[in-house]
Amino acid sequence: MTLQQRFLAAGLAVSISGTAAFAQSMSPMRGEVASFTDAFAVRVFPANPYEHRIKVEIRVYDQDFRPVQARVAPSDFMLGGQASRPVLVVVPFDGAATRKVRICTESVPFPGEQTQIKAQICGKFLGQHKS
Amino acid sequence: MRFRWFLASLICSAAPLPALAATGNVIFNGTIAATCTLTVDTNGTMTVSPDLQSLSSNNAGGAPGTVTLSTTGGVTLSVDPVTSTTVPVGDVTATTWTPTYASSGAHAIAETGSSSSLTAPGSSTVTVNLAGTKGGSDRFTAGSYQATVTVRCE
Repeated sequence: MTLQQRFLAAGLAVSISGTAAFAQSMSPMRGEVASFTDAFAVRVFPANPYEHRIKVEIRVYDQDFRPVQARVAPSDFMLGGQASRPVLVVVPFDGAATRKVRICTESVPFPGEQTQIKAQICGKFLGQHKS
Repeated sequence: MRFRWFLASLICSAAPLPALAATGNVIFNGTIAATCTLTVDTNGTMTVSPDLQSLSSNNAGGAPGTVTLSTTGGVTLSVDPVTSTTVPVGDVTATTWTPTYASSGAHAIAETGSSSSLTAPGSSTVTVNLAGTKGGSDRFTAGSYQATVTVRCE
């Protein structure tokens, strides 16, 4: 390796400082819901098992990980250490008799921290439209 | 004689009866739903190869990211294709990013980019690697690169 290549290699090295750990869990991770309306609701509980607070996002995807237009309350929030909070997710059937969705809890890096790994916990839920 | 019979019956009725033992079972039920916890312990460091066509945590001087996974089992571990990257303005050529992971501990998984079913409960250390490659005459340029790998447990 030439000196120029070494300099370039040093410049290219991506150094990440792991000053904070990002972690989360979510329960439940499985569920079936019967609904007589045009939507079904799921209540999930994201949890932060560590001492420091983290930023959490709740996202809803279909089976192919395409975003689903669901109502999530709240969808983005700060979660304190050792804390858990309920999040209500309302998913429309969009005319289907059944709908499978993934509800995912995602960690969000704090600004200025070069987090390269994003943790995502996803639960699988089935909604059944009863008439 | 009649008095004796009466007396005998009185004695019999006064004799202590054996106590009847009563037992009952107290039942405890518990259900553990499938759960998974991911902790990002360290992020990775990528270095460039001598031919400047590989920027990877597997190269000399690079380091994988580490994630601690804890689960009751019955979940799936996977990594997503990389969609979020930051590259220097001088890099205008295409890069192919390939994330992989391996696991040790309760779940032994050789390095792979595919999803893995975790049937057993326990805690594991997941090492995450990322490799960016360029083809043909394309080369990585000087500057800061950053890419985000999503590790999913579902």
